[in-house]
Amino acid sequence: MTARVIGTLLCAMLPAIPCYSTEKPYPDPFFENEQLLMVIKPRTAEQMAAFYEARGFPQAAIDIITNTCFVTVHIENRSQQVIWLETANWRLSSNGQAVNILGAGYWNEQWDIIKLMQANRSTFHWTQLPPVVDLQSDEPVAGNIVVPGGISSFHLEANFKTGKDKRGESMQKTFEDVGCPQHASLP
Amino acid sequence: MKTHKLLILVFLLLVLPAPGRTADSLPEGVTRINAIAAPELKLDNIDGEAYDLSTTGGHWRFVHFWASWCGPCRREMPSIQRMINQLEDSDIEFVIVNTAETEDAVFTFLGIVAPDLAPLMDSDGLVTQVWQPRGLPSTFLVGPAGNIQYRVLGGREWDQPAYVEFLRGLK
Repeated sequence: MTARVIGTLLCAMLPAIPCYSTEKPYPDPFFENEQLLMVIKPRTAEQMAAFYEARGFPQAAIDIITNTCFVTVHIENRSQQVIWLETANWRLSSNGQAVNILGAGYWNEQWDIIKLMQANRSTFHWTQLPPVVDLQSDEPVAGNIVVPGGISSFHLEANFKTGKDKRGESMQKTFEDVGCPQHASLP
Repeated sequence: MKTHKLLILVFLLLVLPAPGRTADSLPEGVTRINAIAAPELKLDNIDGEAYDLSTTGGHWRFVHFWASWCGPCRREMPSIQRMINQLEDSDIEFVIVNTAETEDAVFTFLGIVAPDLAPLMDSDGLVTQVWQPRGLPSTFLVGPAGNIQYRVLGGREWDQPAYVEFLRGLK
């Protein structure tokens, strides 16, 4: 009994100590251990259209955006070493075929075609997961990765190098069936 | 016996240094960097008044980039307002830069959570790009000589004592 009371007290006093709960701390899919937190949140085309429309994006940009599949990724380095986010080292596949993340080159090309305003380009840029970050201890990073439309779900293998010089132990986290919800319903 | 061990653990946790400070006594998320000259920062604020960072030397500047669509920015902004209130008597200058949003979007958000702030408007986002933040929100501490000396990672509870004391102690 005393132990339970002390445990409760510790929980209340020290937010850093995880407290037992029957509820999951994050929506699926996610990975969490003492070194890394990684949360994956697939977005519907409607969610993305609403987000960018509310920020003044023209219809031509919304059309391009909703023809792709957005997944929001949140990563936190909970270790005491540098963890390298390098999306070039991630492997995505669907039905055995490699899937490429649509990067800055793709988007700049699209935005040039429709002559998207610089302010919209800037906002779009900051909503994307940066391709390379040397995540320091306690540093979070979040943003979207985007894959081509027409994919209902994909396998994501996230590979991370560690250490300032990338010579630490590598980490690999895999997520199966990361979905592109409702994408198939788009015209 | 088990109870005694738990009580000792509680005692040790109570006497350990408060969380929020790292070993070299920087608050969590604050990173010291090799001083580099602050990039140009010339913008108008939301009231149309011109600002130029290069003309405001001689004291520390808290340069903060944010956008209202960014969740951590939204959560952090009220604590920035409270921190500014707490540091009213210091000579730190708070330079709050909105990245690529309209006046309407900024006014609607700040009017509720931080009505005293008059952010600089980086309307096309190009000034933010030059500063190369690692993401939004992002904060740089610029020293009296105009060099960036600290970078702050992600959103922080700026009104917590660890941050207020750290900023107050900048020389």
